[in-house]
Amino acid sequence: MPLTSANTFMDRNLFRLKEFILTMQEFFLFALRSFATLPKAKRYWRDVLDQALICGVESIPIVLVSSISIGGLMSMEVGNLLEEFGAKTMLGRSTSNAVLRELGPLLMGLMLAARYGSRNGAELGAMQISEQIDALRAFGTDPIAKLVMPRLLAALLMFVPLIALSDFAGLQTAAIVAEHYHKIDPGIFWNSIYPRLVPKDFVVSFLKAPVFAIIITLVSSFNGFSARGGTAGVGRSTIKGIVASSGLVLIANFYVSKVVLDIMH
Amino acid sequence: MIELRNVTLKYGERVILDKVSLTVQNNTIKAVLGPSGVGKSTVIKLMLGLIKPNSGQVFVDGVDITPLKETELYPIRRKMGIVFQGNALFDSMTISQNMSFFLRENLRLPDDEIERCVTEQIHFAGLEGYEDQLPENLSGGMKKRVAIGRALIFNPKMILFDEPTAGLDPVSSRKILTIIASLKKSNDLGAVFVTHIIDDVFAIADEVAVLYQGKIIFDGPTDNLHESDHPFIRSILSDKILEL
Repeated sequence: MPLTSANTFMDRNLFRLKEFILTMQEFFLFALRSFATLPKAKRYWRDVLDQALICGVESIPIVLVSSISIGGLMSMEVGNLLEEFGAKTMLGRSTSNAVLRELGPLLMGLMLAARYGSRNGAELGAMQISEQIDALRAFGTDPIAKLVMPRLLAALLMFVPLIALSDFAGLQTAAIVAEHYHKIDPGIFWNSIYPRLVPKDFVVSFLKAPVFAIIITLVSSFNGFSARGGTAGVGRSTIKGIVASSGLVLIANFYVSKVVLDIMH
Repeated sequence: MIELRNVTLKYGERVILDKVSLTVQNNTIKAVLGPSGVGKSTVIKLMLGLIKPNSGQVFVDGVDITPLKETELYPIRRKMGIVFQGNALFDSMTISQNMSFFLRENLRLPDDEIERCVTEQIHFAGLEGYEDQLPENLSGGMKKRVAIGRALIFNPKMILFDEPTAGLDPVSSRKILTIIASLKKSNDLGAVFVTHIIDDVFAIADEVAVLYQGKIIFDGPTDNLHESDHPFIRSILSDKILEL
């Protein structure tokens, strides 16, 4: 009996591994096809504009909320810490590092994974189970060119200005908190930032925009296209999309920082 | 003409279609009759190349479509219109945008020509005044008529219906069946419709193929169905409606 159980356990895990490898293979083909359809952007420019509005303009409030809260929080906490060492004048530099390079882009990525990723997953999942994606194929339209490419291109175009906005709002909030909470003159705050800003600060920050755009759009769209089993299936695929893209955003955030800082140290 | 030749399709270990052979001639209404879950919708998707069989071949006008790539299938699919069971209307588009979708996507006709075609189909479907409505504002029967209009707008040679009357009230069902029957007369179209309602088969089908446990157990003129002595066919003829 124990031998049979062990065999069953092995079989189950082998089956899962095989399934995982097949899913990864499908995902990479899906990603390749999505990039290969980018030249069709001119044909679907209206869809690109619609998606740019959804992922860009409509995401501004959530990006502002996250960047303002992280900028204010960092300024308050780091200021308290620096005060113990009598180094409060370094608050601008310390906060800008955290906001520009790491927490600003990361929080924005997570917020967009939740907002834009869930919308993609649910919308495409619903289209999949209601056979609208099959209908596109039946009418001779490539569903990846019509549905995924505009989402990918819009995210690639819009995430960069969103990160810029997020960085700006985060630093401004940090400056306001520094002035009113820690009583640091704005001139001192900004003077500790500007002379020490180096290209790698911006490279780290802005390189994360296209990386997050690719992860969030492709993972959520792939899960939407893979939805099966009615409305419950749409829920499952949407959750899978958000969890996977959020996890990948966290991992990518670390590696982009590490690679850029290693190269540009 | 569409032909399935020795088609086998499996989902995992489960055999859905087992060496199924089936022919649909032009200008013929052919019904594929069978209980729910037997693989009737799969037959239609195979005909369009939306799914590929594990073995066997699917011919459309003499061309084997099974080895074709997705992009190579587009010209083949343009010979056939499809009406999905749930209609599959694009829910973010209005009725006229749904109807004109194919023309805008593939034919790039001038706007006034597209408008003329859409007006014609709206009139055919009896949906004047609903052009700018979203599908969610229409009844089941109206949605079905939009789906038929959308499938007809590019003048296909064959139209495929997946359970065209499922979920409709008797009056709407009768309207849809009348439309399907009229297509053959007025547009010289062939049609395939899959159904589990035997009355619909007798109402409009010239030929019927009965699918049971993955196999075709009858294929011939509808009138000859009564002559079959297969126990399943005898039971459906006595019950008139298949187990859902």
